[in-house]
Amino acid sequence: MLTLQNVNAGYNGIDVIYNISLSVKEGENLCIIGPNGCGKTTLIKAISGIIPHEGIIKIDGIDINNMKREQVAEKIAVMAQISAVYFSYSIYETVLLGRYLHMKGRTFKEPSLKDKEYTDKCLKAVGLYNIKHKQINTLSGGQLQRVYLARTLVQEPSIILLDEPTNHLDLKHQAELIDFLRDWSKCKGHSVIGVMHDLNLAIKLSDNMLVLDNGNMAAYGNTNKIISSNLLNDVYDMNVTEYMIDSLRQWEAYDSYYNKSKLRKVN
Amino acid sequence: MKLKYKITLSIIFSIIVIIAGVGLGSVNVPPSHIISIISNKLFSAPLPAEIQGTTSISIIWKLRLPRSLLAFLVGGAVAVSGSVMQSVLKNPLASSYTLGVSSGASLGAAVVIVTGFNIPFLGFLTLPATGLIFGMVTVFSAVKFASMMDKNLETSTIILVGMVFSLFVNAILTLIMSIARDHLAQLTFWQMGSFSLKDWSSVIILFPIVLISVIILQYFSKELDIMTFGEDQAFTMGVDVHKIKWVLLGLSAGLTGSAIAFVGVIGFIDLIAPHVVRKVFGSSHRTVIPMSMLFGGSFMVICDLIARTIISPSELPVGAITAIIGAPFFAYVYFSGRKGL
Repeated sequence: MLTLQNVNAGYNGIDVIYNISLSVKEGENLCIIGPNGCGKTTLIKAISGIIPHEGIIKIDGIDINNMKREQVAEKIAVMAQISAVYFSYSIYETVLLGRYLHMKGRTFKEPSLKDKEYTDKCLKAVGLYNIKHKQINTLSGGQLQRVYLARTLVQEPSIILLDEPTNHLDLKHQAELIDFLRDWSKCKGHSVIGVMHDLNLAIKLSDNMLVLDNGNMAAYGNTNKIISSNLLNDVYDMNVTEYMIDSLRQWEAYDSYYNKSKLRKVN
Repeated sequence: MKLKYKITLSIIFSIIVIIAGVGLGSVNVPPSHIISIISNKLFSAPLPAEIQGTTSISIIWKLRLPRSLLAFLVGGAVAVSGSVMQSVLKNPLASSYTLGVSSGASLGAAVVIVTGFNIPFLGFLTLPATGLIFGMVTVFSAVKFASMMDKNLETSTIILVGMVFSLFVNAILTLIMSIARDHLAQLTFWQMGSFSLKDWSSVIILFPIVLISVIILQYFSKELDIMTFGEDQAFTMGVDVHKIKWVLLGLSAGLTGSAIAFVGVIGFIDLIAPHVVRKVFGSSHRTVIPMSMLFGGSFMVICDLIARTIISPSELPVGAITAIIGAPFFAYVYFSGRKGL
């Protein structure tokens, strides 16, 4: 279980997020939403320990400031955002690196049979097993994102942090990723905390939502309640509900047109 | 070709290169004689009658073998150092020189050459020792300054501060050179690098430094692999980035500093060797580090062989040869296979 109590964090001594308090239980997923620059990524960085924080962040009741780096990494894994690949490794090599903590105790940190088998298992789960010897600098953005997801999974964490995990994925892979993460958390009693821009995907993934606005908690609670409130309209400075309903109307119109045209063809 | 075959071929290639480096020159000595001379010196094995009392023994044992081994050690050391720097700083153009090792070492050498001072008990080692100290102080100052400016010790800050320090130290060096014109030629030659007149003492000192540094760097090969993906990622995967970064930067700067302290500035290999090795063997540092050692070492021996034989009995500066041969070779290896070229 992850708990945050009055957490402030930022860069170069200037806070970007203020007084964040929340808790994420086992098997529960949280999505962090909000406009650009509201502090979503900063919150993810604070939870993962990349940047220092004020306040208290606890994992299973232990303050992360009292935990060693390795102990935090055993509990929390962060799925990386796509960035430039400077030196190319094979997909398999890249994913296997996620087993670092499991390999660390051995001379020259060689992988065990279990490390290799678990890597293969995660590669199969993300659909990359058949191309595992391909170099990562030849992959599409979407494939690379799945490589990083597999590397996150081989770490065997109980909490996965994601920062805009679907931004390079096509529609099919977006849906697959969200379903996969939801199944992963529900089956294993683990948690996913994700920064999302796409509200539809955020609704699909999360049990609870945190809405950030200018670094402050604008709302936090059950996803359905947050979405059905008018609060999002204020945070995003637009009529979010109307926009989403309008999109649905357009889909319905297309659907109706498509069905009619099919009928005409049949007749 | 499988990785283990590539590695075996590289080891055989390196041995052939060293034998060629030892055997070829104004007096050519066949490999069988070289092996006999080495066996005689190391294990007191009897020498064949045809080489007893010839000058070949002195040429091989006193001149060419220490020179070739030194070239191998220096080339290997700067290549390994380059591969580590590129990965730690996530920059394919980074090297110990980016952090000011060569500028610092050159300044140290200039101080010794111009003032003619001697560190007590060190004798001929005064020049390399001062070069190493100045090189390391420059790197340490640059990294320390960078950490004061940026507590997270971001890679871009280190590179920028390193370059500023390097330029600053170079400016002082230029001032010294313009004032002490009598020593200009000596200073310029030191900056070109040379293996001439080097004996076993340099090899005996450098060998353990290189061996221990390479073993330690090899131990951190997994961390190096992870750090090439970025420090944030490495951190969240459990790597103690800040501590390991200091160790890796210090070791690789020390490796280059020790190597160039004996022979003057040797550039280019630290840049090209890691790229060539990654292209042939893949990016895993478990292979990149030892193969950089073999490739950088062999390449240096070949360059030194050319530098001392092409216009024999005169010698060309080995630094110029490394770039003349290395640049087209690097371009061929790095860009071959790319479409449109």
